[in-house]
Amino acid sequence: MRISKILMVIFLSVTLCFTFGVSSSMAAGTVKVGIVLPLTGPQAKFGEIEKLSFDLALEEINAAGGINGKKLILVMEDDTGRPDVGRSVVEKLITKDKVVMLGGGYSSSVTYAVSGVCQQNAMPFLVNTGSADKITGSGWDWIYRLNPPVSHYADAVTSLLIEKVKPKTVAILYENSLFGTKGAGKFEKICKKLGIKVLLKQGYEHGGIDYKPVLTQIKRLNPDIVYMVSYIMDASLLMKQARELKLTPKMFIGGAAGFTLPEFVDNAGKAADKVISATLWHQVLPFPGAMDYYNKFVAKYNRPTEYHGAEAYSACYVIADVLKRAKSFKNTDIKKALSETDMMTVFGPVKFTTWGKLKNQNIAATYVVQWLDGNLELVWPTKHATKKFNYPVNWLKIWGY
Amino acid sequence: MDVFLQTLVAGILIGGIYCLIGIGMSLIMGVMGIINLAHGQLMMVAMYITFVLSAYMHVDPYFSLIVAMPALFLLGCFLQKYLLNPLMKVESILPENQVLMTVGIGMVLAEIARFIFSSDYKCVKTPYGGSAFFIGNISLNVPMCIAFIFAVVITVALFWFLAKTDTGRSIRATAQDKEAATLMGVNSTRITIITFGMGSALVASAGSLLIPIYYLFPDIGGPFTLKAFVICILGGLGSTVGAIFGGLTLGIAESLGATYIGMGYKDMVGFLIFVLVLVFLPGGLVGIKRLIKS
Repeated sequence: MRISKILMVIFLSVTLCFTFGVSSSMAAGTVKVGIVLPLTGPQAKFGEIEKLSFDLALEEINAAGGINGKKLILVMEDDTGRPDVGRSVVEKLITKDKVVMLGGGYSSSVTYAVSGVCQQNAMPFLVNTGSADKITGSGWDWIYRLNPPVSHYADAVTSLLIEKVKPKTVAILYENSLFGTKGAGKFEKICKKLGIKVLLKQGYEHGGIDYKPVLTQIKRLNPDIVYMVSYIMDASLLMKQARELKLTPKMFIGGAAGFTLPEFVDNAGKAADKVISATLWHQVLPFPGAMDYYNKFVAKYNRPTEYHGAEAYSACYVIADVLKRAKSFKNTDIKKALSETDMMTVFGPVKFTTWGKLKNQNIAATYVVQWLDGNLELVWPTKHATKKFNYPVNWLKIWGY
Repeated sequence: MDVFLQTLVAGILIGGIYCLIGIGMSLIMGVMGIINLAHGQLMMVAMYITFVLSAYMHVDPYFSLIVAMPALFLLGCFLQKYLLNPLMKVESILPENQVLMTVGIGMVLAEIARFIFSSDYKCVKTPYGGSAFFIGNISLNVPMCIAFIFAVVITVALFWFLAKTDTGRSIRATAQDKEAATLMGVNSTRITIITFGMGSALVASAGSLLIPIYYLFPDIGGPFTLKAFVICILGGLGSTVGAIFGGLTLGIAESLGATYIGMGYKDMVGFLIFVLVLVFLPGGLVGIKRLIKS
């Protein structure tokens, strides 16, 4: 009886220990910027690559004199991939850490929730990855976005389809989250416009074990292309199981996100080869510093980087540039400086304008990448491409059958 | 026809693993009369044991069954002896405070896993992970089939144990009537400890078998606790035979639902059946047998 009580106390105290966090202190001669990223949870891999890129950029900025002599500090908070947690950590950043502006924002659902809080508190927020259109399409004037909206992710893929693949039919699979639903919906519209018949459009709940039922159905419909909008684990499972089923459309296309991370090829192995994906950046693009950033990242962390990292790296430079130009660190001055941004980054030129219904939106192009022998290569548009687009593909041969 | 057969095969294969998860919970429910709401979390612990063995010592996930099952058996015995049994003697408003205790245990286990391994998704890579063979046009994933065979072997072994051994008979006696069993000289406290250990070991085997197919993270337990619960209700509370039917039914229903209704509605199909069974067949599938008899 006694032992059990002692054990219970130990159990409880162990759990309590986890809830204590370490609070940061205010230091003179510094500028604090809050960064919200998923550092744990299902999207942690994306958060990790962005955090490492923020760290890399931060080191360089501070080594070069910081913000007009003041040291730039990034206060990283973990949103765990959940909108409710995102909201509360941002409230903490604003009220407790007293940050001058916010950056980061990975998943669309979390970023949308965070944007709402920022708008309420008149806190400038530079989004670098959250891509649902309504983040900058809600008329909020404190939210700025570096990356293009999800409705434009498939732009380059579309031109590739028209010119090279010329498909007649398509099957669309997507995770039923904000990002997946919007991305798939937009692609369906594009297909209808191009006269491509959508044979199947199906959402799935992330975290499934067995996607074979739906993949079998796709196999029976035999579409020319399969378009998938998925985060990392589901992307690998989908390709692995497509290989097991010998599902062979003319092309497998990923709608960015899970299909460009190095972990995709790690987990899916040879099932990942020759798969193409939309992307927002590649190191071979002719932007000043793009290749440099890639090499620095590889040298420092001993692993490749991709578009999510480039977005974060550039966002950090934009933040530094904005803070340098701002008259003071008052929210209205920072907002004014954000609106006047016109600079070149490794992600391309950055300027916040009105793009259709979107406000304070940076206009950026999209590209197509293909996995060739374990490397992510830029294959479209041809003027930037370094490798030839591999097509048509004999899937069974590549998969080792 | 191919689509239907492929769906059915996928459902039966996953159903095999569901059986293992369900039987463990059913066993505990039968003997102790409580729902073990930490069941999925116990599976998560076994999965992390398998993951650590595989990632750091390069032990094959199937060999790690030999470690994971005894480890979880001991953990289960420990939990029952020091955390659940003492609660039986405590007077309280709720008679089911053992159930509440299992909820707490589940949370603590998940948080400890999060503390040690962080919430990242982990994946074990095996050479046979993506291999498949074909019967006609039906694709069969090798690890899925191995898992199914293991599930059958373990289930048969369990039934032999329950039917033929002295401890097994004591477990059945305690499940039928605890007081009578105690009067007949069965040490019911010892039996509850062994049963909880066995239930944990069973779900541990399911966890290790899932590793080559799936991935893992600290919160993986919750959905599987729910699945185990649905399986037990489907099969009839506390019936081990029922849990087999329940597991297979759930696997097939989810699979058919995914094909013919929509992938996003897969879980909904499972819960719909759950609700229907509760309303129309409160005794579960075993209840049908009783209905026919009477």
